[in-house]
Amino acid sequence: MSTAQAQQKICSEWNPVNKNEYKGIWVYVEYVNGVIKDGSLQLIGKARELASKINTDVTAIMVGNNLGDVVKEPIYYGADRVVYVDHPALSKYIPHVYANVIVQLANKYKPEIILFAATKRGRELAPYVANSLRTGITADCTELDVDPKTRDLDQVRPTYGGNILAHIRTPSRRPQLASVRPNVFPTPPRDTSRSGEIISETLDSIPSINGQGLVEERPAVKGEEMPPVEKADIVVVAGRGVGGVDGVKLLTELARLLGGTIGGTKKVVDAGWLSADRQVGQTGKTIRPTLYIGVGVSGAIQHIFGMKESKVIVAINSDPNAPIFQYADYGVVGDYREVIKELIELLKSRKGS
Amino acid sequence: MHIKSNELGIIMSGLTIIVPVKAAVPNVTAVRLDPVTHNLVREGVPLMLNPYDRNALEFALRLKDKYGGKVITMSMAPPSGKDFLESTIGMGADEAYLITDRAFAGADTLATSHTVARSIQRLFPDFDLIVFGEETTDSTTAHMPAQVASWLNLPYVYYAVEAEARLEDKVIRVTRYLEDEGVYEMYEYKMPIIISVYKNSNPPRDLSLVRKINARVNGLVKVIDNNMLKLERECIGLRGSPTIVAKIEDAKPIERKRQLFKGDPKEAARWLLDNLTKEGVIRP
Repeated sequence: MSTAQAQQKICSEWNPVNKNEYKGIWVYVEYVNGVIKDGSLQLIGKARELASKINTDVTAIMVGNNLGDVVKEPIYYGADRVVYVDHPALSKYIPHVYANVIVQLANKYKPEIILFAATKRGRELAPYVANSLRTGITADCTELDVDPKTRDLDQVRPTYGGNILAHIRTPSRRPQLASVRPNVFPTPPRDTSRSGEIISETLDSIPSINGQGLVEERPAVKGEEMPPVEKADIVVVAGRGVGGVDGVKLLTELARLLGGTIGGTKKVVDAGWLSADRQVGQTGKTIRPTLYIGVGVSGAIQHIFGMKESKVIVAINSDPNAPIFQYADYGVVGDYREVIKELIELLKSRKGS
Repeated sequence: MHIKSNELGIIMSGLTIIVPVKAAVPNVTAVRLDPVTHNLVREGVPLMLNPYDRNALEFALRLKDKYGGKVITMSMAPPSGKDFLESTIGMGADEAYLITDRAFAGADTLATSHTVARSIQRLFPDFDLIVFGEETTDSTTAHMPAQVASWLNLPYVYYAVEAEARLEDKVIRVTRYLEDEGVYEMYEYKMPIIISVYKNSNPPRDLSLVRKINARVNGLVKVIDNNMLKLERECIGLRGSPTIVAKIEDAKPIERKRQLFKGDPKEAARWLLDNLTKEGVIRP
């Protein structure tokens, strides 16, 4: 550290940081209601890649109660070590309580990087952890890299409407925190022959809830209403080629089976087959789901403008010359009704098995 | 003054609810960036109230309608932020505060949350709830509610759709919706707590132009600067910000695979599902 840096006055509410004391990459592995989130496992894969560049290791952090064998899972997906806190007071997810547990662990072990899956719960948890450690955080990164010299995490996120990529760094503080949306990175293969260190950590004090905390849970009624197009991970979009309301109904069934939502082109909305809030395109909504499925969509440029940032694009159209195929990862030429019916059958049989 | 009494006849005032709001840039694709800091240049840019903050204000106003008390909006913004704070009064807020000072400029989310949290502590120490919008449309981090909760060491809950209060023992029960899990959860805490409101809930009520104009004519938006707040220079603005924008670049168009399948619909469906499963975009 240079003299100038050492002398620079910092906020009196910040702890002084000696960067050399911070080592290793952490991934917070979200485990709620018996499920490990894929987004967390995907980050273990990315963390491995970063760790090899700066010659360090990957630790998964888990928090909960009666975790049992699930603490081995991060090892199978590539972690070197799992540090977990298992306590009856942690049987229910309480945002500030879980966050404070992670903060205590980070203060003890001093990792240089902590990654969070930007699930709804992850987006709630990560900023509290970062703030309590008086450090920076970057939300919804689409790429992560690490500078082998400075060990600074290069956090890339689209900003200002998605046309610009910002590279964000936290040069003077540690740890460096980032969140990444699920499915930005692939899930590493599960390898049960891998082994690693598993550490059960006990804390001096579990933070108090200050009330009853979580008192009730209930699943939303299925099909109650479909999520809006700009917020769903999977969007099935109807184009004029679907022919009418019946076609839209068929696609809605597919969207529901996929856990996604239904949208339409301007022509479909103008025809009154779908409500205006479901229009995708320049004069409608811009979407960037992980999966876009355009059915009977020709691919007018005004429509492309509203969906071109989707992670994976599928087009189904009877016209092999439809412009949308130029923008698609996977295209199927054929009668959409037959293809969609087969897709629905396949998805139903998968769920049934 | 809103006074309520419970069954025991104990007199208490309703809820004091703070709604911090943000001046969002309406058209994020047509803005200027500072060539050195890569920060958004906010001076001289027409500002609007972040749309999701209106849902938060609606959430707060519904609580006030039910339990009495007052709703106070505040914003850390350039001086031009006065206009959208007048709109919050037009919607029904009782008071509005503009927190503005050159010293706050260049803040990342840590420094911003410091300014918001410490301002609330100094200006409204007796608050019951701080209610935020889910995120802003121009930076979409959703950091602020959790960060302010951390500075103030308070419980917090995101994605709230409704809440019920028990004034006699200062308890609030919040229902929230987790979109990715399709689950509602109910949390119960002692107030004060921090709430962030689900953006697809609480559609905002209409703004009363009369109230808004009245706010302007009578100068109802109070302006607070750092001479009054006396926040430590090292904790705010650029100096209180650990993150830097090291570089910006144009987002490159995404390369597409352009694989085409023609033939039997059954095989087409199988081919699609296999590929989409491999891509990790649908569940196996």
